[in-house]
Amino acid sequence: MKTAVATDHEQGWDFEKAAMPYVDSLYNTAYRMTRNSEDAEDLVQETYLKAYKYYDKFEEGTNFKAWLFKIMKNTFINNYRKKKLTPHKIDFSEIEESYERVIQKNAPDLIKDPESEIFQDMMDADVKRALDSLPHDYKMVVLLADIEGFSYKEIAEILDCPVGTVMSRLYRGRKMLERTLLEYARKYGYIRGGAEPAKMRSRKDETKGRKKKDPETGEETDVEPEADEEAILFADDEDVELEIEEEEEPEQFEIE
Amino acid sequence: MICDDVKRVAYFFLDGKLGENKQNDFKTHVSICPDCEQRVSIHRRLRLFICKRLSRDSAPQRLRQRLARSFRGLTSET
Repeated sequence: MKTAVATDHEQGWDFEKAAMPYVDSLYNTAYRMTRNSEDAEDLVQETYLKAYKYYDKFEEGTNFKAWLFKIMKNTFINNYRKKKLTPHKIDFSEIEESYERVIQKNAPDLIKDPESEIFQDMMDADVKRALDSLPHDYKMVVLLADIEGFSYKEIAEILDCPVGTVMSRLYRGRKMLERTLLEYARKYGYIRGGAEPAKMRSRKDETKGRKKKDPETGEETDVEPEADEEAILFADDEDVELEIEEEEEPEQFEIE
Repeated sequence: MICDDVKRVAYFFLDGKLGENKQNDFKTHVSICPDCEQRVSIHRRLRLFICKRLSRDSAPQRLRQRLARSFRGLTSET
């Protein structure tokens, strides 16, 4: 009996020592997922309790942080499935188009002073609001890749999706985030403007006017993004994938 | 590589995830195309900015204490 207690103590201590260094990362991500500090704390607590419970299932030598994040993502989905995350309907050609518009307008101001931080006066709250405005799936990949530094393969593991999906979401998520930041920056005067618009090649003309008219109602709807070149290369879900070997480390794959 | 290719893979270039050949093609194009150079530099700076600004929320002390209590509870349950 005594040995069992000692082992439990030992396991508990081991776990605590291994898991606690990730509390900031988990909390930060949980907060962005739930957008509420109480829910975020509950989510992190539940994640740790589950992780503790299944600690013996953790495979030595695999990424412990990714394992914790996967538990957290599953816990989040289970808890919030009832609340049903509103499905997002995104017009990807519109993202490309408005991105090009925004970047061309602001490029001269953005590259003026490469030494200083870009938009240094922007409030942290605005940056967070920009991230929070992304649809959940896109926000997740940006957080996991750019803030937590996970590899594409680890993100695919955490989110249970193919690496190609991770890449397509990263591509679009980052674009949406950059666009939103640039729009805020201009709106709130963090970039002043006034410089001549940069002459950059635009895809605007190619992506413009992808609408189709319903013959009966006359209502215009956007053409499905499948028609878009980007959408073919970065197909959002499993149907079309980039040529990457998922068994391999994604370090060396070729795109196209 | 043409400008449209650069636009498509710029993020993956910055992540260091292009194959060696693609990575070199990319660099070659960017070195001779000021538009693309500008674009890649904007992506890079925005990325740094985003990373810097979004990693600031640390776990509240309250949560740490709550977790510590849970761990103590778990290990003394038996």
